[in-house]
Amino acid sequence: MSEAEDDIDDAIVAKVSDYLDGLLSGAERDEVAKKIETDPAWKQTHEDMRETRNHLSGLQKAHAPATFTNDVTDTIHKRSQGRFFGRKTLGDRVPFNAILIIAIIALAAVGYLMWASQTGSLKVDKKHEAPTEPAKAPVKLP
Amino acid sequence: MSDPDHVLVRRLRDRDERAFRELIDRERDRVYRITFRMLGNRAEAEDVAQEVFIAVFKTIDSFRDEAKLSTWLYRVAVNHCKNRIKYLARRHDRDRDELDESAHTSGVNGSIGAPLPQAPDKQLQGAQMEKLMQEAIANLDEDQRIVVVLRDVEDLSIEEICEITGLPDGTVKSRLHRARLVLRKKLQRHVGEQHE
Repeated sequence: MSEAEDDIDDAIVAKVSDYLDGLLSGAERDEVAKKIETDPAWKQTHEDMRETRNHLSGLQKAHAPATFTNDVTDTIHKRSQGRFFGRKTLGDRVPFNAILIIAIIALAAVGYLMWASQTGSLKVDKKHEAPTEPAKAPVKLP
Repeated sequence: MSDPDHVLVRRLRDRDERAFRELIDRERDRVYRITFRMLGNRAEAEDVAQEVFIAVFKTIDSFRDEAKLSTWLYRVAVNHCKNRIKYLARRHDRDRDELDESAHTSGVNGSIGAPLPQAPDKQLQGAQMEKLMQEAIANLDEDQRIVVVLRDVEDLSIEEICEITGLPDGTVKSRLHRARLVLRKKLQRHVGEQHE
């Protein structure tokens, strides 16, 4: 194939590639579609490119080994000597935020119970307050 | 970045092991496929894929929230593949001898999805085509190989490929055209040889 033919081929391939990728605007797409229909060189390129793309997308989908996730985390544990991931307690990280919220709610509940209780020390019961004795007049001594 | 990704990144930054496992489980096959198609060797692909995740975990703090997490991950994968290709080239280690056998085998370790039941001659044809395409990909320039693997094998958009490679749209497209042209010629030669 001559260099000039190669250049023409390149130009057709570029356009057909864009056409297959859906990257052309309306008018341009129609123009390329028409050329593919009417021009044998364009038609051939279109068929070849489509076939090539089909073969590429049809390559078998390889899967990572089943142990992959464990292998990666084990490697991280080894390299960081266990310091990389958060400190663990009872098999998982301590959810400090959740514990704090629960503690605040619990404190509020205890506070309310103490306030609402008849015997609670936080509520001031005015009914049972001892009446203040009126000031007695000074006793005159004989 | 989507909301679930945002939450995942926050947990990753918090060094939450479960979040790391979630990310690996979600992306390991795609990362492995990219490394395998780029390197053409199962053992190297697995090793690089592992290093990709380790690098991601180490550098998660440098991840910019406006980017897509998967895009960032694939960029790390592509960069690791480039480095490994250079390293292997220096070592003159171009061993891709697994390709002829791995195309139609399946197993637990590094398995390829089980092929659909086919007639023996069709299976053979499929295996030959798989080998031919992988060889053709391996013979592409590194820059062309990246775009073909991401676009035609992994079906990522041109926009995503631009983000992953850091290349402008026009460069990605022109590399893709050239790569497809090379592959098309290779395929034509193969078909021609079969007809002779």
